[in-house]
Amino acid sequence: MALLEVRDLKMYYKTLRGYVKAVDSVSFDIERGKALGIAGESGCGKTSMASTVLRLLPSNGEILGGSVNLDGVNITKLGDEEFRTSIRWKKISMVFQGAMNALNPVHRVGDQIVEAILAHENVPREEAAERARELLNMVGINPKRYKEFPHEFSGGMKQRVVIAMALACNPDIIIADEPTTALDVMVQSQVLQAMEDLRKRLDLSMMLITHDLSVIAQTCDDIAIMYAGKIVEYGSVFDVFDHPTHPYGMGLVKAFPNIKAERSRVRSLPGFPPNLLAPPTGCRFHPRCPLAIDICKEEEPELLEIGSNSHKVACHRVDMLERGVDIWAQ
Amino acid sequence: MGYSRYLLRRLGYALIVLFVIISFNFAIFRLMPGDATKMIIDPMFTPEAKAELRRQFGLDDPPLVQYVKYIGSLAKFDLGLSFSTRRPVINELKERLPNTMVLFLSSFVLTTMIGISVGVYTASKRGTFADSFVTGAGLFAYAVPSFWIQLLLLMLFGYYIPILPIHGTMSAPPPDGFFLQLLDRIHHLILPAGSNVVIAFGSWALYTRNTMLEALGQDYIVTARAKGLHEKTVLRHHALRSVLPPIVTLIFSALPGMVAGAVITETIFSWHGVGKYLLDAVMQQDYPAAQGAFYLIALAVVTCNLAADVVYGIVDPRIRVGEGGAK
Repeated sequence: MALLEVRDLKMYYKTLRGYVKAVDSVSFDIERGKALGIAGESGCGKTSMASTVLRLLPSNGEILGGSVNLDGVNITKLGDEEFRTSIRWKKISMVFQGAMNALNPVHRVGDQIVEAILAHENVPREEAAERARELLNMVGINPKRYKEFPHEFSGGMKQRVVIAMALACNPDIIIADEPTTALDVMVQSQVLQAMEDLRKRLDLSMMLITHDLSVIAQTCDDIAIMYAGKIVEYGSVFDVFDHPTHPYGMGLVKAFPNIKAERSRVRSLPGFPPNLLAPPTGCRFHPRCPLAIDICKEEEPELLEIGSNSHKVACHRVDMLERGVDIWAQ
Repeated sequence: MGYSRYLLRRLGYALIVLFVIISFNFAIFRLMPGDATKMIIDPMFTPEAKAELRRQFGLDDPPLVQYVKYIGSLAKFDLGLSFSTRRPVINELKERLPNTMVLFLSSFVLTTMIGISVGVYTASKRGTFADSFVTGAGLFAYAVPSFWIQLLLLMLFGYYIPILPIHGTMSAPPPDGFFLQLLDRIHHLILPAGSNVVIAFGSWALYTRNTMLEALGQDYIVTARAKGLHEKTVLRHHALRSVLPPIVTLIFSALPGMVAGAVITETIFSWHGVGKYLLDAVMQQDYPAAQGAFYLIALAVVTCNLAADVVYGIVDPRIRVGEGGAK
């Protein structure tokens, strides 16, 4: 049994013009100590999916179905109050997108960590403060900076504080939503390295959301590629990067330059992601897919295992793709 | 920039502003149409008597000398003699100041506290009936002329449902005993202070609501919720706390306007205070009295602005860069 099992999770945003199908029947597992990367274009439902798991949805977000099992317990069944006290931060914590605003500008960074500890554990304030100092030290920040405010930190330092904060209650899983997007490349790799070291040391599981495939390649065990609210390809990082099989997954991997391989043109995927208010019928990728045939417009493909190692792909033309045709060649 | 340097600079500005105001105060009354002395000098007086009176009030000196004397006496809080009562203006103001302070502070504290609470409440209930109703009511009270609402309230609670006194700061004669006197004063305070709250809470509520909504959309609010904090803590400790700097600044910068409103409120409710004193003095062309009242109000306004700067530095840590030692 995996630590986190997400099954058929559905979350739609209710708008005046209808439902926006942001997360549509998404299923995946995260084993203890493993990291799953979620990749996809902007607006494909990555962040919505993470927010659904932690129930951090805006008021118009509705969870319409599916289950999230954490350690065998279906946490979608918990009441809001119980969810808040026993799941949030205690079991699943989050490292947010945009290091700039994830910390409250008017509170001292140490206090923001302490607050998370005190919300879940009945310990004296001094003890929590002591732990906050240890956490800061652990992510490479001088504990003397406990009393400083966020604006006194650089972007990378702030993100380290956010990571320290995420570790405050010894969670089982960390959801990292674009943790390094706002940082420059040097700082990005330092922060990622720090995160990886801590994760290995503390045997943490992680869900890493990013549009940067190189970040996933560097840190994750598995990868799920999302398109228009659905997972279209899912498998180990090796399988998916070496043999991307879904046309979209293939395009995404090809759109990324590989410095070790032979020089080739970086290719962009033509077209735009669909409007999720009224997604295309059948396979949601068919309007952009060079291989689309009639069945793709009518029937939604299932996410099915191909070959070994639980590499899964949702495509009607999978038989053709497995032969390794370079469909984005022209 | 250190906090103390910031304060010092603010203090310098405040002194300059005060100086400009009192200079204007001096000039305005000498430029106003009508003769300053006609109030006190009977046309039947002999020229010698007129001259003597003008000398007594220091009106025969050249303007520059008058100005220097005026500044000098202001520094000593010597505001001259009232034309109409022939008593020192400072004594008359001292009598009325406590009344004004009571009305002003009670209105101010109640208005801001109620306004901010309503703003936080409506922000947390955005889009519900309670939100629309409270916000709409506050906006209405804010939009109509203040004296109109005050007169309506006066009519309603003083005449149709006569449960509140319609004028004055206390009953004449006052009841015996400290406790009864206190109650009597509070009884008289309800209408003026209450009407001020009705008039002004809406703008605070709206402002708080809007800044709160903006704050509630920030990433650090999602962080706070994700941490598993109670919604109340998120609302107060994170959202409200982060919008407090602009609100507090606005509160202090609104104080001058509230002082101006006090003139109207005091007049409508015949409140024995500085505002009514100022109005009476202007109507009677009692220049020393009006100048004195203006001076006092200007002093209050400048002090309020200075207080706003001090408080802003305390509530917004970003102003205090350098004080903590880092960087």
